Amino acid sequence: MPSNDHYVIIGNGPAGNHAADTLRENDGEARITILSQESVLYYYKHKLTEYIKGKTGEKELTVRPSHVYKDKRIRLRLGQEVERIDPLENRLYLKHMEIMSYTKLIIASGASPRILPSVSNFGKYLALLSSYTDVLNQLPEIRKNKRFLVLGGDLISFKFIRMLKDMGKDVDCLLYADAFWPFNLTTEMADAASESLRKSGVRVLSEDGLKAVKQTDQGFDVMTEKGHGAIYDSIYAFLGMVPNISFVLGSGIDTDRGILVDDHLKTNFDNVYAAGDCAQIYNPDIKSYWLSVGWKNASVQGEVAAMNFLGAGHVINPSPKKILNVEGFTVDTSWWEAFE
Amino acid sequence: MSDMDLVVEICGSAGEGTISAGEILSRFMSEEGYDIMSFDSYPAEIRGFGKCVAHTRVGRGEVLTPGKYSDVLIALNDIHAIGQLPVLKEKGILIYDNKPPKYHLEDQSVVGWLEPGMIPYGIPLTELSIKASGNSKARNMVALGAFSALFGIDKTSFIESVKRRYGKKKQDIIDSNVNSFLEGYTWTLEHVRKIDPFRFDGTGAAVKRDQLIINGNEATAMGALAAGLHLYAGYPITPATKIMEIMSKELPKKGGIFLQTEDEISSIAHVIGAGYAGKRAMTGTSGPGFCLMSEFTGLAVMAEVPAVIVDSQRGGPSTGMPTKHEQSDLNIALNGGSGDCPRVVIAPTQVDECYQAAVLALYIAEKYQTLVILLLDFFLSNSIKNMDHPSPPDPKYLNTHVLPDDGDLPDFKRYKITDNGISPRTIPGKTGGMFFATGLEHDERGKPVYDTKSHTLMTEKRHRKHAGIAAEMIAPHITGCEGAVDIGVVSWGSSAGAAREAVAHATAKGIKAACFSTQFISPFPEQALRDFSKRCKKILVPEMNYSGQFANMIARYMERPMERLNMVTGLPMASEDILKKIEEIA
Repeated sequence: MPSNDHYVIIGNGPAGNHAADTLRENDGEARITILSQESVLYYYKHKLTEYIKGKTGEKELTVRPSHVYKDKRIRLRLGQEVERIDPLENRLYLKHMEIMSYTKLIIASGASPRILPSVSNFGKYLALLSSYTDVLNQLPEIRKNKRFLVLGGDLISFKFIRMLKDMGKDVDCLLYADAFWPFNLTTEMADAASESLRKSGVRVLSEDGLKAVKQTDQGFDVMTEKGHGAIYDSIYAFLGMVPNISFVLGSGIDTDRGILVDDHLKTNFDNVYAAGDCAQIYNPDIKSYWLSVGWKNASVQGEVAAMNFLGAGHVINPSPKKILNVEGFTVDTSWWEAFE
Repeated sequence: MSDMDLVVEICGSAGEGTISAGEILSRFMSEEGYDIMSFDSYPAEIRGFGKCVAHTRVGRGEVLTPGKYSDVLIALNDIHAIGQLPVLKEKGILIYDNKPPKYHLEDQSVVGWLEPGMIPYGIPLTELSIKASGNSKARNMVALGAFSALFGIDKTSFIESVKRRYGKKKQDIIDSNVNSFLEGYTWTLEHVRKIDPFRFDGTGAAVKRDQLIINGNEATAMGALAAGLHLYAGYPITPATKIMEIMSKELPKKGGIFLQTEDEISSIAHVIGAGYAGKRAMTGTSGPGFCLMSEFTGLAVMAEVPAVIVDSQRGGPSTGMPTKHEQSDLNIALNGGSGDCPRVVIAPTQVDECYQAAVLALYIAEKYQTLVILLLDFFLSNSIKNMDHPSPPDPKYLNTHVLPDDGDLPDFKRYKITDNGISPRTIPGKTGGMFFATGLEHDERGKPVYDTKSHTLMTEKRHRKHAGIAAEMIAPHITGCEGAVDIGVVSWGSSAGAAREAVAHATAKGIKAACFSTQFISPFPEQALRDFSKRCKKILVPEMNYSGQFANMIARYMERPMERLNMVTGLPMASEDILKKIEEIA
């Protein structure tokens, strides 16, 4: 008997796509819709720097071609942002003024770059780069410009700086130790990172901060708290990420930093689940909520949320610790690590 | 980018400024030095409701077709625009209103139907229009502002173009449009993150061109007026009405006569009457009207009276599809009416050719004292093209009456048998020049006769005129590879542009192909076609009718099999469809 279910997934990243695939594999009848704020197909985020350098093409960057969605009868609606959710009426209000109904919902909206309060006054001068859309929008400028200031401190910033150096750019880095993401740097870690960057020809300005920025014909005229002054073509900020949940606020779905879910990834509404970087997951062992990061974790959570959606009752388990090597120093982490 | 080739569609409801927005865009791009072709579609009911699409192709090179698929869709009405998404290219761009006055129900928003890979840019068209002009009527101008910001178009030049467009309107209307354009432009620059690669170069800096931007109907009317048209009698019918509108305004200014008659039969009767009186006369119609005129076509030929009929073809039979394209009146144009009735049929292939074709039609009708049918079609009548201002007609095409010597008048033989079939004729009122003019078969003086010899001689005489006309006809247009080719495309009318473009693409892909197209259908450049045919392994005949009317006609000149591409989509022939067929059979 044909199903009248409409499963809606907000987010086109690893959590959203794994959820959609899992739903289709286990329910051949229901309507499945993925909504994505970005206008581009599901892509490998970690390949963006190679794409900017011109070492990777659009095809390699894309996880799967669009026909896969047609084949699986998953409707992919790109460039369509959710403005708010009404979980009592099972409705989504889209920003372009369309009302969409769902029977069950998975929120997998990921995370967005954050601006630290200490630099928020300079927000209009700061370029943020965390998505393919950002890259497409900023690529001509990145390729054209020579002098970059990077307000850094998170994992992505190191990768971006490496990329700029590979492209022959002049790079200064204002290192914000409190901005490291997914956790803060210790003093030793910050020193090690600075040293590694300096060896690469990056001028690192540590224990310093932005004091003034002025846009001139020559570029951005920057002065730091410690009196360092220079002119840059671009200022990029990589100061960590925050769960992308603004459209959930006020809906009645419980949130804290992220969307609060139990260890089955279910929110306080029975037909609403959350997975990936936007979810704050309850860990009964420590009786608290934790955020997770990373492609793999998001993928697993997408699958688990989808299975539970269909009544499986799977519990999400913490992934084991793993070792990251960041700019020459070693970090032990897992997705159960504290955010800060 | 120097090889810019962009197809833009603006889709809205009738009365929303859809067509005028397309016109403004086309005019601006032409002024900026780009080649443009526009083709609008609108409901048969003309105004008040229904879907309108303004379709414009802009290119650096010669633009021969409007393009089947669009790069940009500007949606002024979501429901209508959903219907245009199938022709939006894989990586096409949608500009849409993301803040309409109320929520759409599920699946009634155009952006919801975008295929992955297409790029939506949401602009609050309604809000910005209200902000700029106090109402939502200027959404089209807001959209053009957004388009200009997205594609790097110089806003100052565009605004100047808008001001020229609305130059005769009240200042508050001009201000309302300019302000709305600027709202859309500024908002887009500030809020939209561009992620597509399209960008115009050189707008605002290019050498400005003073060109005409006209459609085929306008070019036809201009040509007829330049050729000394004296009387136009017509009855309104889509898609030929525009010719009539122009004549109603312009012909009286030149001392001519414009008549809106009670029906098409009366129109052609007036034209034949004027022709008999020695005046250049023309009517314009479409298939259903042409059917009504058929009886009189025979009279023009039999009585040897100059007459020109413009038949702008549309979807048929009967009243058919008034606002849809088709090339299905060829049979009736060539053969409609009774008896052996030779007539001249000219089918221009491009807008600029319509001008010269109208001049030629009136010239041939007058000089050869016969019926000339100018065969346009919905696409040609309505497609808008930029073109240089045409030169005035060569004097040899004006006032070409073949008058008798006064010495012949005492025994005036109006239908004198001559080598070229043309008999000198008198203009009514000439002393001694009276004659019978009748639809009955007649002798040299015009007196009705039914004997075998007279009918044979007169039939031959009427047909003999075509040898002279053939000697004056415009040579076929041949493009593509020289020498032996794998595919030869033989085309006519407005499909010829698509055929030439398809052949150019095929050649670029390594297929040896060439294109033969002719404006003259009757008489026909037979030898030129035979010569072309000899160097083609295969012949393809694309045309917008079901039965292959042109292919059937030319079969008599080429005793060989032909591939055919017959479509009745109601849309203009697309080069993509011809190219696909070429690739299939190559």
